[in-house]
Amino acid sequence: MQENVRASFRDPSGFMFKHKGVFYRQINQAYKDDYDLLMSSGLYEQLSKSKTLLAHEEQDLALAPKPEAAYKVIKPRQLGFISYPYEWCFNQYKDAAILTLAIARRALEFGMSLKDASAYNIQFLEGRPVFIDTLSFERYQEGSPWVAYRQFCQHFLAPLALMAKKDIRLLGLMRQYIDGIPLDLAAALLPGSTKMNFGLASHIHLHARSQQKYADREVSQSEVKGKISKEAQLALLDSLLNTVRGLKVKTITTEWADYYQDNNYTQSSFEAKRALVSDFIRQVNPKTVWDLGANTGEFSRCASDLDIPTVAFDIDPGAVQQNYAVVKEGKEKFMLPLVMDLTNPSPAIGWHNEERDSMRERGPVDLVMALALIHHMAIANNVPLREVARSFADFGEYLIIEFVPKQDSQVERLLSSRLDIFPDYNPEGFRQAFSEYYSILDEKPVQGSARTMYLLKRK
Amino acid sequence: MNQLFNILSAQREYLDPGSGSMIIQMVIAAVLGLGVAIRVFWKNIKGFFNRNKQAEIELDPTAIDETDESETRE
Repeated sequence: MQENVRASFRDPSGFMFKHKGVFYRQINQAYKDDYDLLMSSGLYEQLSKSKTLLAHEEQDLALAPKPEAAYKVIKPRQLGFISYPYEWCFNQYKDAAILTLAIARRALEFGMSLKDASAYNIQFLEGRPVFIDTLSFERYQEGSPWVAYRQFCQHFLAPLALMAKKDIRLLGLMRQYIDGIPLDLAAALLPGSTKMNFGLASHIHLHARSQQKYADREVSQSEVKGKISKEAQLALLDSLLNTVRGLKVKTITTEWADYYQDNNYTQSSFEAKRALVSDFIRQVNPKTVWDLGANTGEFSRCASDLDIPTVAFDIDPGAVQQNYAVVKEGKEKFMLPLVMDLTNPSPAIGWHNEERDSMRERGPVDLVMALALIHHMAIANNVPLREVARSFADFGEYLIIEFVPKQDSQVERLLSSRLDIFPDYNPEGFRQAFSEYYSILDEKPVQGSARTMYLLKRK
Repeated sequence: MNQLFNILSAQREYLDPGSGSMIIQMVIAAVLGLGVAIRVFWKNIKGFFNRNKQAEIELDPTAIDETDESETRE
């Protein structure tokens, strides 16, 4: 049974499909020359060895779902969790942009051109960005411009510039615009001072003007088909690279980044909680973990340090950025930090709502963790406990959840500014609500607090 | 720069970004390419007078196995 993967349906060069749970790519005859050049030029070898391009193995052509068009069937290295640009923290996004430009530059040196600079062609594998689309390379024609220039600016430069120069939350525009942020919108939102930055002035502001100027005109072929020398194209790529490198976000001190310096834990109870979580994880022995509300990933590491692929979601880009810094510093391979608002998780977007999966569709996992999270769902967001249970049960089979009672200072703080309309928010109410979807396997008090840690299994 | 903005300013219609992007790319690349050419030219002149000095080793900023290690820590 083969099913096409809906994320790659536009490309005439080939497409992804799934066969017995494994992802393959059919390469069409139309892409034959470029594929052969990629493989024979040494470019593939260099990129795949440095793990910047996803490695693949050629398979039996009989697997091809559309044999009449097929040239090759390849099996790329399998990825774990697929993440999308609108879920990356600033530095993940920046690294993805730098990698894309580095690959474009390297391709030119091997006589090829990167024809597709979509941010969706980057995934995070073993803590590092990797380019996943084998079909994005074509033979370089002397004098031709970079066809992916517009796409790079919309997919990478515009969102990075908006996050760095205007507001980190503008990352959310990537969810709205699947082909990248329109440059006229980016230009309108960016502060006027960015016109003094050569890179942003040319690649965004002037670029947007130029798009508008030629939008409603018949442009003669000769006007567009001008020539750019290879040196000039390399200079263009370097200019983009320098512009991206120059973009930085100020140290993000959002609400959660300093959480562990300012909370209910002493060092010893922190260690005790860690031991408790680790013990529950070992009981479950999961293959995949989602940590919801992971903050900087302190407790997610109880799982990822056991070499269990773990996605650490948090709503706070500052916390995710800190987590990513730790991943890079420690070259951690099993931790993927992502930005996610659990009260409004990533939806399915794109053509027929099938191009990019919702958060839910990318599950379920074996184990879900929700530590010090329930009060934010139940009290700050008015989600009934039963609804929280239903949602978490959908995400995974097992659940490690910490119940934070009303006498906890964090909950007191949430309740201090509002009417307490949560009579059922107590251990009994919690057990009752969650028992509808789960069996309770274990429960232990969290030392040094009034909280309780539960290990639950879906019914 | 301002002059360029004026040259390119126009009323907003529906977008066909392809041609506009290609044209501005050629303009920017030409400017940047000229910059590179001038730098190379001066380097050659300087090189002529400083033959004995060791050539500056230029680091490739886009080494493929490096993804911006230096800048993550803010």
